[in-house]
Amino acid sequence: MKALLVTLVVALAFPAVASAHATLRSTTPKFGTELQRGPQTIRLRFDQSVTLLPGAVRVLDGVGRDFAGPARVVGTDVVAKVRPLKLGAYTVRWRAVSADSHVVSGVWTFGVRGPAPAITAAYGAGGPTTLEHVVRWLWFLGLALTIGALGLRLIVLRGLAVPRALDRKIAVAAGGGAFVALQAGIGAFSLRSEDALQLPFGKFLYGDLSPMAETRFGRAFIAMTLAFALVLAFVYLAWLLDRVEPLVPAFAIALVFVGGLSVSGHDAVDPGSSWKTELADWVHIGAASLWIGGLATMAGLVWFGAPELRRAMFTRFSQMATVLIALVLGAGTYLAIVRLPHLHDLWSAGYGRVLLVKLGLVNFALLWGAFHKFVIGPALERADEGFLSRIGRSLAGESIVGVAVLLAAAVLVDSKPPPRPGPTQNTAIVVHR
Amino acid sequence: MQPRAEMVHWFFGVGILFVALCLLCEAIVGTEVWRMRPWRAYLWPGLAFGLGVLLWPVMAFFTNSAIHMYAHGSWAEVLMLAGGSELALVRGRLTSPWWRLTWPLAFVVTGVAFIVHEQNSWLFARSAFLHHTLGWTFLAMAVFPLLLLWRPSSTALRAGLALMIVAVSVQLFADRDVAPVFGHLSSLAGEQHR
Repeated sequence: MKALLVTLVVALAFPAVASAHATLRSTTPKFGTELQRGPQTIRLRFDQSVTLLPGAVRVLDGVGRDFAGPARVVGTDVVAKVRPLKLGAYTVRWRAVSADSHVVSGVWTFGVRGPAPAITAAYGAGGPTTLEHVVRWLWFLGLALTIGALGLRLIVLRGLAVPRALDRKIAVAAGGGAFVALQAGIGAFSLRSEDALQLPFGKFLYGDLSPMAETRFGRAFIAMTLAFALVLAFVYLAWLLDRVEPLVPAFAIALVFVGGLSVSGHDAVDPGSSWKTELADWVHIGAASLWIGGLATMAGLVWFGAPELRRAMFTRFSQMATVLIALVLGAGTYLAIVRLPHLHDLWSAGYGRVLLVKLGLVNFALLWGAFHKFVIGPALERADEGFLSRIGRSLAGESIVGVAVLLAAAVLVDSKPPPRPGPTQNTAIVVHR
Repeated sequence: MQPRAEMVHWFFGVGILFVALCLLCEAIVGTEVWRMRPWRAYLWPGLAFGLGVLLWPVMAFFTNSAIHMYAHGSWAEVLMLAGGSELALVRGRLTSPWWRLTWPLAFVVTGVAFIVHEQNSWLFARSAFLHHTLGWTFLAMAVFPLLLLWRPSSTALRAGLALMIVAVSVQLFADRDVAPVFGHLSSLAGEQHR
């Protein structure tokens, strides 16, 4: 134990033995710019002088040909000449050694007489991994729990005599959801950056993520992080003061900013995308979050936490769920039509197959929900305690199916829809691991 | 769009100094006198919680390295946790004094994050030196709230904690150069480098 403590103290005292750092201040050309003609030089400005490694600056086209000449250091700048570039999309990958020997690196893209590819489509960038699917799923779960718990308290339980202890539990559930959403957001942003940088973890820690922060995904991550930090603060205030009012801005912010996922996803960038697809996706995600999260909160907290509210809550939730499901189905159908140019894409394209799985799960959940609405609902008035407990378990089962729907949605968001017929875009080739 | 790093350091330096001065006042006059106006009880815990919330924009906007992002994020979380726990204890929503363990936890996490996220050695630059001293100050500071769990009314421990936080604030002010914002204060400093 003593040896462990001594080792820890020594490791903290001399961290520089293992690491060092220089920060990139600016680049020429800038991240993601479209140039009318190829640059003659690439310039990286650091906050301190750096040492060059072989291949310090590489300018890569869509098939990985390097157009950069040898790099040299000019003060705190690294400059490399570039051979003439044709029309196309280009990726700059750089690495350098800081003054005390730590390797820093980064990547950005630009286009010549064409748009720069997204940083995730830079040459050598990797595709989404299983870990990314899991993290995206956790993100959805966190968002759904926050929106569902808040929506249940503010809409379904509005005007009912909610016990104080239950109010506190709902606030804890909503806060827990916001916390998970924040952590998963950081995880998703890190993994997406790692896809672009393609560095082992030790080097990734010192990788420059600012080009990723300037993408749509990065901006959505920033906006959602700030929004859900505020949500967490409002929910905490509601818990602290035993008041419902702070939950109102928390719910509004969460519902608006859940749309960050839409702005950063396929609905914003793929061919056929428009403000209508972004709006539809926002409605789809928002309504699904409220439905699944509300159901989970009802089954997990309220059903057994406040038995006296069961009947009123069940009826009210059933009414709200009908509207939400209509919104989910309407928006989802519209998006499926836009994203899948042909019906056979449903079984021939990877995206379509994941969509089929999701549709199967949604239908299962819908059937279960319909059973609750049309069979259980009318029998609720004359139900005894044992029957009501069984309904609670059934609601929990339906919400587990909802959680599985979110997993399918997470995989779907990370998948690319099949290309639409028409002229192809000039983008860098993505190398999948 | 993005505020200068200097401004951000100074902003949090001001906030932390205010927390420290409140704690020092409370240590000098005693909790009973300090809380004669009820809102004062909420002052420094509320400020600590608010500073935690305000660290989220720092995490989100300063992404020039992944490790900075994680360090800022961890500070935001532990400051919200510790400030929030203290607020809940004052309010009576939490009753167990063990919740005050969130403070040593926050100090240890903050200290380790300061030391680990500073990749340069002690004497590399002023900011590197101060990041190391900040890290060790936080680690040393964790002892005070731990001891206060057993001696909650000890004036020496409470004043010591407050003075340690003052030291943190001073280091945060000194951590960034004034020249990039105000220019060199003396011509002897020579040409400005950035």
